[in-house]
Amino acid sequence: MKLIGAITAFALAAGAVSFANADDDKVVNVYNWSDYIDEAVLADFEKETGIKVRYDVFDSNELLETKMLAGKSGYDVVVPTGTFLSRQIEAGVFQKLDFSKLPHAGNMWDDVKNVTAIYDPDNAYSVNYMWGTTGIGYNEEKIKEALGDDAPTDSLALFFDPKNIEKLSSCGVHMLDAPTEIIPAALKYLGEDPNTKDPEVIKKAEDVLLAIRPHVLKFHSSEYINALANGDICAAFGWSGDVLQARDRAAEADAGNTIVYKIPKEGALMWFDQMAIPADAPNPELGHKFIDYIMRAYVAAAASNYVNYANGNKAAQGLLDDGVINDPAIYPSTETMKNLYSVTAYPPKVNRVVTRMWTKVKTGQ
Amino acid sequence: MKPSRLIIAIPYLWLALLFLAPFFIVIKMSLSDLAVSIPPYTPQLDLSGGWEAITAYWAALDLENYTWLADDPLYINSFKSSLIIASVSTLITLAVAYPIAYALACSPQRWRALLVMLVILPFWTSFLIRVYAWIGILKTEGLLNQLLLSVGMISDPLTILNTNTAVYIGIVYSYLPFMVLPIYATLEKMDWSLIEAAEDLGSSRLSAFWLVTFPLSLPGVIAGCFLVFIPAMGEFVIPDLLGGSDTLMIGKTLWVEFFSNRDWPVASAVAVVLLVLLIVPIVLFQRQQQKLSEAG
Amino acid sequence: MRLSRRASLSRCSVVMVNDPNFRPWDDPNTKPLIDIQNVTKKFGDFTAIDDLSLKIYPKEFFAILGPSGCGKTTLMRMLGGFDAPTKGSILLEGQDLTGTSPAQRPVNMMFQSYALFPHLSVGENIAFGLKREKMPKADIKIRVQEMLELVQLSELEKRKPHQLSGGQRQRVALARALAKRPKLLLLDEPLGALDKKLREATQFELMGIQEQLGCTFVIVTHDQEEAMTVSSRIAVMDQGEIAQVAPPETIYEAPASRYVADFIGDVNIIEGRVSTTKENAVFLDWHENEVSLSALSDQSFTIGSTAWLSVRPEKIQIYKEPPQTNNAIAGKVLDIAYLGNVSTYHVELSNGQVIKAQETNAGRSANRGIDWEQSVWVGWSTDAGIVLSQ
Repeated sequence: MKLIGAITAFALAAGAVSFANADDDKVVNVYNWSDYIDEAVLADFEKETGIKVRYDVFDSNELLETKMLAGKSGYDVVVPTGTFLSRQIEAGVFQKLDFSKLPHAGNMWDDVKNVTAIYDPDNAYSVNYMWGTTGIGYNEEKIKEALGDDAPTDSLALFFDPKNIEKLSSCGVHMLDAPTEIIPAALKYLGEDPNTKDPEVIKKAEDVLLAIRPHVLKFHSSEYINALANGDICAAFGWSGDVLQARDRAAEADAGNTIVYKIPKEGALMWFDQMAIPADAPNPELGHKFIDYIMRAYVAAAASNYVNYANGNKAAQGLLDDGVINDPAIYPSTETMKNLYSVTAYPPKVNRVVTRMWTKVKTGQ
Repeated sequence: MKPSRLIIAIPYLWLALLFLAPFFIVIKMSLSDLAVSIPPYTPQLDLSGGWEAITAYWAALDLENYTWLADDPLYINSFKSSLIIASVSTLITLAVAYPIAYALACSPQRWRALLVMLVILPFWTSFLIRVYAWIGILKTEGLLNQLLLSVGMISDPLTILNTNTAVYIGIVYSYLPFMVLPIYATLEKMDWSLIEAAEDLGSSRLSAFWLVTFPLSLPGVIAGCFLVFIPAMGEFVIPDLLGGSDTLMIGKTLWVEFFSNRDWPVASAVAVVLLVLLIVPIVLFQRQQQKLSEAG
Repeated sequence: MRLSRRASLSRCSVVMVNDPNFRPWDDPNTKPLIDIQNVTKKFGDFTAIDDLSLKIYPKEFFAILGPSGCGKTTLMRMLGGFDAPTKGSILLEGQDLTGTSPAQRPVNMMFQSYALFPHLSVGENIAFGLKREKMPKADIKIRVQEMLELVQLSELEKRKPHQLSGGQRQRVALARALAKRPKLLLLDEPLGALDKKLREATQFELMGIQEQLGCTFVIVTHDQEEAMTVSSRIAVMDQGEIAQVAPPETIYEAPASRYVADFIGDVNIIEGRVSTTKENAVFLDWHENEVSLSALSDQSFTIGSTAWLSVRPEKIQIYKEPPQTNNAIAGKVLDIAYLGNVSTYHVELSNGQVIKAQETNAGRSANRGIDWEQSVWVGWSTDAGIVLSQ
């Protein structure tokens, strides 16, 4: 149902522009990823501040960026991923944050800030909401059935080696519809620099992906949560927290599907979703208030406990559930951390090559 | 200006405002280049720069995006594939809709209003929800497979969802009323004594249908075909929800170009080409409608 | 009628229908073309045709006449094969037609709506039936030309039906129905859509064509004048049954019942009791203190039974003084209607009944010196009226 959510959100967002001005001293307009917040956090914010939250969702960075680049989106707070954020900052989409209005900024975790600075120098435009990894989600029983006991569930080879994925195609494989995440992973699998901007090198990923595309049931960025949880598919290359959500749903349904998330041993992409305020936000004042509220230690902890993603809030760590702070799939060990990598945005000309390549991968054209 | 002229001017004003103006904006965009800015293309027209700025603006526009479309087989294949999917689904829709329209026209007068309402009834639910419902029917563990498995017609579930078959089903289902209603309208007006006359003159029931009923319902058939073909050609939601990754349709390519690739200039060029291609059937449709109203 | 290919046109030899000797129904040796035997047709509970038997002979121009809802259209549709009898059978030249589809019958129909195919030209409409019987193309062309000449529409072959006038459409429909040379042509209210003048002209034209072709026509109409004009015999229908079958003059002058007398033309009907019969004259007591009225009848009556005297208005004379005729009754002028060629006098009798008398206006002055409220006498001869038992 996420796609409906996304499309509805899209429709609502179009309407939000006109609504936003009607009572702008009371409403903060937030545009965030689908399935990415504890509704109680929003309710508490409304109760405490008397500010109403108009909350819309999207399920792809591309969709968000399209709206941002069109301008006048009517949102006060949006949550793009770092790679997209950097390009959007360059395009002049965002305004600099006024840290005098963010008293809880001191809660933020320097380790995360150091990494996000590659997208947002000095962290002047954004504050981390959640971060996570892109890795392997799979159905334990079904993988065993298809590949036996020694299935390489901790390796990118599970997806990128045609021998493996071919055997999985009968039970179903999903991949994120996100070229900026899959292409670096394929490059990593080949031993290349995942952050390369060289079209010649990027081309190498194309061969890998074209070889496996017939065995991928669908490229989609949100359907795999339900598909994994229901046992419709046996593996997905997806985002950590989403796979963990599928894990919890499968456990709840208790239909014999055990879902596991693993960070591939070759290394995984580490991504950061950043809260930022559009330059043309109708109500930047309220946007600051909302961001500051999320930065409170107990709020950030509650949010992470709910969505199974790590956050960039150091003060919140003591308040997290044991199952979250101690889960290496959410907060990886220091050793695993060393193996994670991050990527920066492609320049426009390279971006065109990448998107064209992605279309070719998805459609075979 | 006389009041009557004013009245004639209103539709043209709407046309200019709601069609021509946006269309020129899209054409202009299709001549621009991709850029990292708001909006994400260049050049931007800056009237404050005076005449020089305007000439510079014109100079910066080019047909690069159209050559890009022509060079890359993706777009040509998308158009071709859309054309095939739209044509085939129009024919299937016709084959399904004609018997329905015929049965409607033959049904007792007192039932007709109700039956016509039943044909229109699906419109009371959102198009999106109805297409989404087909996911539940067509998926591997869906209703259709369960039914076929339980009656023993198949031993392994069929893969229908995420294939072109699902796209055909979705289009035929969604556009069926647009085919049924115009055909019904022509059949309903038909003088049934013509069929008796044909039989009286030596035709069998079947040949009376092909010689009289079908030719007389042709205006409805043609109208229905256009009403299905034109929107099916640019369809996006159905191939996106029901089709697979390799379902190639121009509407989807356009969407990807605009939203995923954020390449507004190329997306605009695709839109312009799509419109130009659709102008041919739309003009044919208009002429047919006009001929019809002249014939009375 | 201008006809160049008279000989090739007719399936049957040319014969004059209004020849007084053309009375095949009186000849027990003539075989009927159509023999309707005890046919009943029910639609649900409604009986449209009730145990009807009828013979129609070759070369007849046969009219089925009756008010709407009398079953005449149903009868015609059964002849055409569009409806099947519930009971009974219809024979054509001795062959039972039961189960034969319209396409297989040597019967064609001219529809009330004409039912011309709007997407086909005049020529294609006429050729439609010929193509179905796989006639060679060259022959079709010749036949279409013949038919167009027959109905005088040769110049309009390429026109579409919507480009024709009502009268032209009617002719195309006729030509199309005749093109296959049917043994029997059915005409369903063929002239109903035409205006009065055109209708009258077309009636004679239809008769001419029927005479030329010498084939059998059955016309269904509610217009008694039309039926009287064109037909050799008329069947008057009443609620699914035949009230009378006879040549027009018999229907008019010797109706079999009050229903038939009343349906055809204007009539005065006086109820009475049979007092005496003398040869073929019947005397009726109709009112105290009034003399008995007399008229002829073929039927036999028992003395004292109720009977009805039927007399047409044009057969009644009006007098200022008591006349010397058999049937003379005193009355009072109630109304005078001047119609140009005739004047109709409404005369109230002593029992309150109003009698209509029609006088021809032979001179230019219609004034006979008879005025409203004036006491007058009406009278007619014994052979002017007829006594009916039902």
